[in-house]
Amino acid sequence: MTSRNFTRRIFLKAAGAATAMAAIGKFPNELFAMPERMATFPEKTEMILLTSRPPQLETPLSYFRELITPNEALFVRWHIANIPTSVDLSTWRITVGGNTERQLQISMDDLRKFEKITYTAVIQCSGNGRGLFQPRVAGGQWGNGAMGNVTWTGARLKDVLNSAGLKAGTVDISFDGLDGPPLPTVPDFVKSLPADKATEEDIIIAYEMNGRPLTMLNGFPARLIVPGWYATYWVKSLSNITALTKSFEGFWVKTAYRIPDNDCGCITPGTAPKKTTPINKMTTRSLIVHPAEYGELVLNKPVEIMGIAFSGGYGVQDVSVSVDGGKRWEQARLGEDKGKYSWRQWFYPWRPSKAGKYTLMARATDMIGGSQPFEGLWNPAGYLWNKIEKTEVTVK
Amino acid sequence: MKKAIIILILLALTGFVYAAPKESVHSIEIPLIKTELKSGAGKEVTEKFCIICHSLDYITTQPKFTKAQWSAVVNKMIKVMGAPIPEGDAKIIEDYLALQYGSGG
Repeated sequence: MTSRNFTRRIFLKAAGAATAMAAIGKFPNELFAMPERMATFPEKTEMILLTSRPPQLETPLSYFRELITPNEALFVRWHIANIPTSVDLSTWRITVGGNTERQLQISMDDLRKFEKITYTAVIQCSGNGRGLFQPRVAGGQWGNGAMGNVTWTGARLKDVLNSAGLKAGTVDISFDGLDGPPLPTVPDFVKSLPADKATEEDIIIAYEMNGRPLTMLNGFPARLIVPGWYATYWVKSLSNITALTKSFEGFWVKTAYRIPDNDCGCITPGTAPKKTTPINKMTTRSLIVHPAEYGELVLNKPVEIMGIAFSGGYGVQDVSVSVDGGKRWEQARLGEDKGKYSWRQWFYPWRPSKAGKYTLMARATDMIGGSQPFEGLWNPAGYLWNKIEKTEVTVK
Repeated sequence: MKKAIIILILLALTGFVYAAPKESVHSIEIPLIKTELKSGAGKEVTEKFCIICHSLDYITTQPKFTKAQWSAVVNKMIKVMGAPIPEGDAKIIEDYLALQYGSGG
């Protein structure tokens, strides 16, 4: 450990720290009692360090001013300690088998021979925003930085499965990566998708992010991309794809990453769900990126309120903004449309003409009418966070 | 003695055949970041078992839980995540976490 790759920033609740908070801009007040650590990992920029082994790194808010999240700033989340740190492409293969006509050993060269598919898609951790849940829940205490918008390039999963001759009677398809458990008793991180989902056109095995090879910590050499769904399914450093004739029973699908089986995926805080289902589509949400929480604005000086919005693969129809804590709402201007899986930037010009404190809010609506709740919906694992956020600013 | 010699020879050989990194190999080195737990009874037992699977910031970054919530976390680590913690030690860890990282509830 050196001071170059590890610094500690301690924020105090004192009013004097407000400017520093605005510069970093992340959590509401009550979470600032906790020290925020920063760290620089290989191929990554300085990021918010949640945990180091296995690593969980959060993207600082300022990167969300960009339409595309730079590779070095994309969040990192691994589940079990033995993560891949060295891959030899001359020997790395994805084994495709199970209920297929033949077993394939797919190399990087093989993967690149399939039709090349490119699109921009939001990648978001199921637990993004978990640190904002009230009452608090266990797990990685993410702010809003466990997400990013990346242009992915790869081969269609469906094409790869067809080249192996996917057989009728396949129920689920499981995906394993190069990461492994530190003890044999620890469940290996393996995920599955129902066969009909896995064979959808838009699911790819990506070998490039933003036109460059994946960073090691984001799943080098190739990872699954399930656009519109939470990143728990986007298995990193893929090594095995297996067609199953029975439903997958692994821990990370049958026990973990589940939400209450009802319309909102939510229950009364502090209670246990009666029935659960695997998490899937992302909920529709927005985020105010500028000005940051506790920002100070100048009286009568125009400011462009800016943020992002996305959904579970439907595209964004509208973003409305309020500068008075939700009393009046006006439409924001939407930025470039990079497709239904991408996030959309939005902009709202504002010229504050009275000094004082203001509560800024943004609310996204997707193309099928889905939107965001005014109060946070609660579930025990801290998933699906999409509450309409309140950003407090002061005009002087 | 014989065993020691064999091990020495093996070590020498491993060093000898160690090849320069190939162009097809992509490697990174993860920085070692140490997290210090609060002093108190049970700290060593807590460190000893928890660190087998994860860094200690998995403890320090959690919200302040009640005793029952910390017990549930430790129980989950044993029953679900496969942590080899004997019953007596689990109790020590639960007490330590509830006292040092608890809500007092």
